[in-house]
Amino acid sequence: MSKVITDTITLGIHWDRLISIADEMMQALIRTAFSSTVRETHDCSTTLFDARGRAVAQATSAIPSFTGTAPITLAHMLKRYPAASLRPGDVLLTNDPWMGTGHMFDVSVMRPIFSGEKLVGYCMSVSHLPDVGGAGWSPETTEMYQEGLRLPVTKFFEAGVRNAWVVELVEGNVRVADQVIGDLMANVACTAVGERLLVEFMQESGLEDLGPIADAVLEHSEDAMRASLRQVAAGVHKHQIQIEGKAGPITLACTVQFKDGGVSVDYTGCDPAGPFGMNVPFCYTRAMTGYALKCLTLPSVPNNDGVMAPIEITAPENCIVNALPPAATAVRHSVGHALYPLLMGALARALPERVHAESGGGNMLNVRGEFKSRKHSQVFFCSGGYGALQGFDGHSTTPAPSNPRGMPVEIWEAQTGMLIESKVLLADSGGAGAARGGLGQRMRMRNESGSPVNVSCFSGRTEFLPQGYAGGAPGKARRYWINDEPVPSKKVYVLKPGDTLMTVEAGGGGFGQPSQRTSEQLLQDLREGFVTERGLVEDYGLTPAAAAELASHS
Amino acid sequence: MTYRIGVDIGGTFTDLALINDSDGRVFTHKLLTTPDAPERAVVDGVRAILELTGGAISDVTDLVHGTTLVTNALIERRGCKVGMIVTKGFRDTLDMGRETRYDLYDLRLRFAQPLVERRARIEVDERIDHSGRVLRPLDAESIVKPLSEMVQRERLEAIAICLLHSYVDATHERQIAEVVRKHHPDLRVSLSGEGYPVIREFERWTTATLNAYVQPLVHRYLGSLESGLRTSGFEGRLLIMGSNGGTMNPATARRFPARLLESGPAAGILMSASVGRALGRPDVLGYDMGGTTAKGALIREGQPMKRYDLEVAHVHHFRRGSGLTMNVPVLDMIEIGAGGGSLASLDDRGMLQVGPRSAGAVPGPACYGRGGTTPALTDANLVLGYLDPGSFLGGRMKVDAGAAAAAIETGLARDLSATTTRAAWGIHEVVNENVARAFRVHASEHGVDVRRCTMVAFGGSGPLHAARVARKLKINQVVLPPAAGVMSALGLLISPLSFEVAMTRTTLWNDVDRQQWDEMFGILRQRAEEVLSEAGLSVTDMELHGRLDLRYAGQGYEVGVDVSLDRSSLQEVPARFDAAYASVFGITLADQQLEVVHWRLEARSPTGKQRPMQFASYSGQGEADKAPRKAFDGETGGYVEHRVLDRYRLAPGQTFEGPALVEEMESTTVVGSGVRGRVDQQHNLILEIL
Repeated sequence: MSKVITDTITLGIHWDRLISIADEMMQALIRTAFSSTVRETHDCSTTLFDARGRAVAQATSAIPSFTGTAPITLAHMLKRYPAASLRPGDVLLTNDPWMGTGHMFDVSVMRPIFSGEKLVGYCMSVSHLPDVGGAGWSPETTEMYQEGLRLPVTKFFEAGVRNAWVVELVEGNVRVADQVIGDLMANVACTAVGERLLVEFMQESGLEDLGPIADAVLEHSEDAMRASLRQVAAGVHKHQIQIEGKAGPITLACTVQFKDGGVSVDYTGCDPAGPFGMNVPFCYTRAMTGYALKCLTLPSVPNNDGVMAPIEITAPENCIVNALPPAATAVRHSVGHALYPLLMGALARALPERVHAESGGGNMLNVRGEFKSRKHSQVFFCSGGYGALQGFDGHSTTPAPSNPRGMPVEIWEAQTGMLIESKVLLADSGGAGAARGGLGQRMRMRNESGSPVNVSCFSGRTEFLPQGYAGGAPGKARRYWINDEPVPSKKVYVLKPGDTLMTVEAGGGGFGQPSQRTSEQLLQDLREGFVTERGLVEDYGLTPAAAAELASHS
Repeated sequence: MTYRIGVDIGGTFTDLALINDSDGRVFTHKLLTTPDAPERAVVDGVRAILELTGGAISDVTDLVHGTTLVTNALIERRGCKVGMIVTKGFRDTLDMGRETRYDLYDLRLRFAQPLVERRARIEVDERIDHSGRVLRPLDAESIVKPLSEMVQRERLEAIAICLLHSYVDATHERQIAEVVRKHHPDLRVSLSGEGYPVIREFERWTTATLNAYVQPLVHRYLGSLESGLRTSGFEGRLLIMGSNGGTMNPATARRFPARLLESGPAAGILMSASVGRALGRPDVLGYDMGGTTAKGALIREGQPMKRYDLEVAHVHHFRRGSGLTMNVPVLDMIEIGAGGGSLASLDDRGMLQVGPRSAGAVPGPACYGRGGTTPALTDANLVLGYLDPGSFLGGRMKVDAGAAAAAIETGLARDLSATTTRAAWGIHEVVNENVARAFRVHASEHGVDVRRCTMVAFGGSGPLHAARVARKLKINQVVLPPAAGVMSALGLLISPLSFEVAMTRTTLWNDVDRQQWDEMFGILRQRAEEVLSEAGLSVTDMELHGRLDLRYAGQGYEVGVDVSLDRSSLQEVPARFDAAYASVFGITLADQQLEVVHWRLEARSPTGKQRPMQFASYSGQGEADKAPRKAFDGETGGYVEHRVLDRYRLAPGQTFEGPALVEEMESTTVVGSGVRGRVDQQHNLILEIL
């Protein structure tokens, strides 16, 4: 029984089914992975391809870093091992930053899918490994050779047999070898799930070839994306921002041009790549660009090549967002994530009802110490405020564009012996505006573990405030204190037993003129304590008398 | 002659089931819910069902009640004004939430607001650490003044006391509670460290605030219900169904109302498990589908699977993450927005989508003729011929097949360039796919091979879709129990009296010795026994079930292992953990250390052997065949003649082949071609998917 895609109803059912196969693969991966960034923040992705290597479905919850990267990785793999040379049971992998997702921590694992002897498609998973050797996850490196083991496209399994030499190579080069091998195997297992589910689906649906579905999926996606881009007025938009770098500020610049159903983004004007781990390979630039533009145009359409087709992205070679080997890229996200506010800012005038003012972002405090005679290395995450949108107050303590998860105080204390003394919302920290930016917070932690503890403080927004749009004010800056003395960011500190670390997390930018915020909204802000009487005067321009009058009603 | 009655209040209907304990005969009844005073439908319904059977209310020994009162109060935010007393430095925990987004592409997400306003929270200077050590002592009297001010200013009716690490030691919370009660005897008080205290402050405190939020409401409601029943002559025992599939007495329900969440669906799942056990099928997928949602639950070895948190009252498109998460023991269910009222539309891709938006009761599907113009699943099932416009709800409700077809034609078929029939089948099939997909993922999350399960389907819409969903899941047997429209009310009749308690004590497994084992389970046991003794169950009659949540030290996921409480179980734990871990993840990690995180215990009344229910309305006599009608056959893609059978007249042992439609009062079972049906001695309709 063979059926073809005759109508949109069948197509919709098949399409959703393929996405759910990618979702199931991803779940298998998350459940079995050791890397905490995979488990906690789902720093992984899965993708299904047709036999021609076109991505038809990506897992729904894959994070932005992976938007549209997998097809390029697959093309690199097939260049090395052409399709005709692949056999059932083969599994290929690479962690090359330029072929994969921009840094060596992510491994891409691909399995060709065979129905009998016939190659019917491919599936791929990408996951963040617990370790890849080298200097670790830090901006301190100056070139990629310090960053760990770079695996070219390699057959990890050949016709179902694991390549023992690859295992030995990995074991000989990484710190927590059993966990890394465990994670590689989790990827292998998840692609096996993908293969089984895809073959079952094709048999059940009477499909011998995914090609016609891929054609239709890509066409529909591209059409939908173009239709949505067509609603944006033609025009050229330039923008430039600065972020904190390892050695002084980094400038990022873009030119965005909309033209009938398409958009081009050029990054000329960005600073050159530098001798630090913050360089961004182009694949990651492409992913973050695609993500930001998708949020602004058609967020609901699933990720695939069709969505990316109308987006043309260019960047000069060896600028910081098109870094070439041997640039160091370990923490490429710290620059890559800034492309999101860069693009939002570029389009703030063109798409005022859609853009998202800059957010305070999260603070990833990498804490290494010893507790109950066990060494540990953990990330304490706490978030700044979310940028406002037109008519929409930013949420307090909500991260963007990256999306880790806050650490429960009770869990943190039980695991590390560190004591969180307080964690409070910071009144007046959200940028003033017709819509207010989300509040940041103040967190104070005391080392009660009995041993010295290393804390890496690398988050930005200490010098360059989260900007508001359309007249909205910026959110308040991020700050660090040790034993109540202010200290600079981008450093590793040692907390002796009894020492305290205090952070203030940045507020989100506001949207629209503060004078446009209604007195009902201000009254509510006062009642909740999100804005103080002083804030009314200093940030919202009320006279002291008017502020006192409003306060008397709260 | 003694009777027991189950009463389940749903959004639209209040369902009743009565069992005569002397002969096992069961009667059912359904009446409209009375939202302004839900107890009225209960009292009226009890009177009506007793009239059906000719019994006297004085012969009713137990009345078991399931209610959506708490769930609805939370969704509609109808609870009382709650204040909160919290450890100094942590007043804002409820506002900060989990500090994460549940959707990366939707920039305008919404989060559920805390149940306590920020201005109704005061801090108290005290602190204990994760091991229970007091770092800052409590001066409970220090709260008297700020509390009185706050109570007056905010007109509070209840207080939630929420301190850090109270899952280890709730002494400070209890001391504060004493002071609150002394100075404000009218306030209801909830403690985060009481009842079900587990680690993670945001969820534990949210649970305590919910408990406080609905306490006055539940108290008043149970009061009215008790007096209404007493006035009508009821002298038996009133029991309230909890989220975990067990019942509690009214005093316990008043104290822990958060545990009434989702109690109706839990009873339905309990009934599915019972049906499976009776048929010798211990692995079951329970599938409940009604007007707005479909629910699925896995039953393994005859027991429904459990979980210990529940997210409710979603504020953003049913999205996980947009609700409030409660720490309560619940039967583990997956819920999706797919039901008879689910609306069909085209999404941004131009693809057909059904749900999660629902037409609700008003305006309802287009065929209700109440002003709805967007096609709903029920409209599609009418157009496809599965539902008979003449006998909707047993003929009690008139529906308009023409309006259904018109809505599909103009609202969908044109945009899809498809015929009305094709579009209607599309709606039906998209729902089948959505349900199958959700169940498949749920099963794989639990490491269950869903193909080995028997499906037990119920609810108003479940039987319409069951066979087709089962085929997609490669399940080859579907059971449709009798009276599937009041499945939850039936489930109430078989639910045991139960109370569950838990504590978090994270300990390396190697460090757990007999003494700690005895101490932990001793404390839990005492707490559970105390509650059940108050409900009138003697300690010697209680069954105790222990459970440990363990993980490999350093991992983030815990896996639950059932244990018996005697010390011999201690040695078996690692092996059991390995087996449970392997069944979910496919591997074990021999060299990693184990760590126990949560200790749980359920005490319940013995289940014993239940007498099979005899359904009075299923006579199995007379001519079952009704006039055949044309309905859509998915296998051949066209309308074909379907046999139409009266479910009440199908005799035990009777078999038939699809295509056929089996009709009963609240639902119709679609038996497609390639499906064989038979009726067993208990009047279960059993479908074999060939």
